[in-house]
Amino acid sequence: MTGGSWLCLLAPLGGTIVITLCGTRIPRIAAAWIATTSVFVAFGGAIWAFLGVHSQHAPNSVGLAYAPSVYHQGEITTAWTWLQAGHFSVGLQLLVDPLSTMMMLIVSGVGGLIVLYSIGYMDGDDEERRYFAYIAFFVFSMLLLVEGGNLLMLLVGWGLVGLSSYLLIGFWHERPTAVAAAKKAFVMNAFGDATMALAFFILIAHTDSLSFGVLNAHLSSTQANLVALGLLGGAVAKSAQIPLQTWLPDAMEGPTPVSALIHAATMVTAGVYLIARTHAIFEQARTIELIAAGTGALTLLVAGLIALVQTDIKRVIAYSTMSQIGYMFLGVGVGGYANGMFHLMTHAFFKALLFMTAGLAIHALAGEQDIRNMRGLGRLMPFTKWCFLAGALALVGIPPFAGFFSKDPIIASTLNIGWYGYVFYACGLVGAFLTGLYTFRLWFLVFPGEPSPFVREHYHDHHGSEGAWTMLLPVGILAVLATIGGWIQFPPHWDPITRWLAPVAPSLPDAVASSTQETVTSIVSVLVGLTGIAVAWAIYSERKIAIPAAPSLRRLLEEKFYFDRLYDRIFYAPAVATANFLRREFEEPVVLQTGPDLGEATIETGGLVRRIQTGLLRTYVFFLAAGAAAVVLAFLIAK
Amino acid sequence: MLGPNVAWYLAIAAVLFGIGALGVLVRRNTLVVLLSLELMLNAGNLALISLARHWHNGAGQIFALAVMAVAASEVCVGLGLVVALNRRELSLDVDTLSELRG
Repeated sequence: MTGGSWLCLLAPLGGTIVITLCGTRIPRIAAAWIATTSVFVAFGGAIWAFLGVHSQHAPNSVGLAYAPSVYHQGEITTAWTWLQAGHFSVGLQLLVDPLSTMMMLIVSGVGGLIVLYSIGYMDGDDEERRYFAYIAFFVFSMLLLVEGGNLLMLLVGWGLVGLSSYLLIGFWHERPTAVAAAKKAFVMNAFGDATMALAFFILIAHTDSLSFGVLNAHLSSTQANLVALGLLGGAVAKSAQIPLQTWLPDAMEGPTPVSALIHAATMVTAGVYLIARTHAIFEQARTIELIAAGTGALTLLVAGLIALVQTDIKRVIAYSTMSQIGYMFLGVGVGGYANGMFHLMTHAFFKALLFMTAGLAIHALAGEQDIRNMRGLGRLMPFTKWCFLAGALALVGIPPFAGFFSKDPIIASTLNIGWYGYVFYACGLVGAFLTGLYTFRLWFLVFPGEPSPFVREHYHDHHGSEGAWTMLLPVGILAVLATIGGWIQFPPHWDPITRWLAPVAPSLPDAVASSTQETVTSIVSVLVGLTGIAVAWAIYSERKIAIPAAPSLRRLLEEKFYFDRLYDRIFYAPAVATANFLRREFEEPVVLQTGPDLGEATIETGGLVRRIQTGLLRTYVFFLAAGAAAVVLAFLIAK
Repeated sequence: MLGPNVAWYLAIAAVLFGIGALGVLVRRNTLVVLLSLELMLNAGNLALISLARHWHNGAGQIFALAVMAVAASEVCVGLGLVVALNRRELSLDVDTLSELRG
């Protein structure tokens, strides 16, 4: 069990090291296969760990109807003590428990498929080896994040995924936009890392420990609030929630498999994992937890609205990702940790699928990403079309696709927590409508109909198929998962995931919806989603309804609610102004002028002093004698 | 063993030192300047030795030996310079040797 976790963690790291050390001595394709194999080995390790945890439930359970809390609580394995100072000591620890094994399976499983997909996608790039070293390193970092056995290890993984995200967004370093996007992502994530570190300092100061158990320790309400707020800051930055969301759409400058892996399936959902993992502290600071839920609700609306006007296929999906993570935040924020984690899992399937089908389209159209040019692509790429449709239906939450099972419990779970629950509920339903609208706007603009002239001109297939088999196979597998992956859980009738997570992150009683609530919510949200699809069909396919003009609203959405401009005004412009002011008023007159001034003063003083250097021996002797006489005289007088 | 008071020896030393210092200051011939320097050194030696006897402390005598050694080496260098100057047929007047002025 613990062996599986170490294998899972170290296999991708090994892959990275081998690719880096071999350099150009191995062919590019070998680097690709080393990375892929290492991630699949990690998946094997994750299954090993999963089976280990699974086998430790109580033997008296019959069939699948396990009683809650009979699963293993988890096991910590320590390699060595890493840091020690006084009473404070942190080991290089891994934790194997239901929550971490679930994340390990998602990260390494979906990650393996996406790395396999990259083999075809990155084929022919100049720096494929670097790409595969980075992506294996990302998988290692993400696994460290989810397996870390204490908060410090979690923070190490947290920082490393930020680093590998930075490296991969800026992978095409000859594009200035990619470099700027990488920098933006890194800075905004660093902000979250800093608030997390501050929260950890508070914990260390008051409890002398960073183990996960310390989160159950009794803290004063101020301390608990501050710690929870710090953790929430990290989660919000990493998961691109308002107000730290602006980096995610720009991150689409990276290669498409990177968007699928890092900016859809795994890294951006780390915030949800963090809240589920540290739920004890959030339950002590219930206000902060509800702020997390509110942030999620707000983000899912705002991102859904912005997605309506985007024209870049990847950016539409990126905003959709923000919106779906908003749902997850809403789920874990009201206390339904299993709901949030379940949606995280199904989202990993269908969102990776959407990104990868978009990647197939982009690849076939030689890099074109503007959906206005893509009409009628479905005629030429039927496989891509049907896979995309599976992902889109899963995203909107139409039964029996995965999103239906995972999204509706989140919306339903908001009903019992108080009046604000109804606000969240309304947000969730409006979000479902927006999801249907923007997803099928994408669908109707890109796939059905006669191919546009642009598509006819630029479409090129890959030896008669829509892509290399390494690209088509993972897409096919994920299409199947997006279709049936949600059947694992259908609350309230069938809830293995809730029970699986119960020993680690039991959902709060408030967040469990009654059977009626579940049923009504499911029906309403499916209807709302279908309405969204119908409106999209009427507007973008049949053109029966004109796109509402409303230029000011359109501008508001195209400017992404002015967040970028606001941050530009508040942070960037004042910083630049201050820097320029200091340069003009301080650096140039003071710092830069000091050196020359010192030199000139020295030369002037030297000019004065050199006059007493006469070269005449007898003058020197005279001064010497006079000096000696003066000293003697002084001593005599002083005596 | 009785002898003149230590003050007499010190007076002689002071007179010798004054003559030497005056010689260094007023004479321009390099050789004479060197001789005057020797005079000053030996005035110092005389003072050291007489006070060593007065205080019954041998350190002064030892120090005088060290001064002699220094004086000997100084003369070596100094006379070497004088010989070198002479060989190049340069003036031995110290006032004309002022290339090191600032």
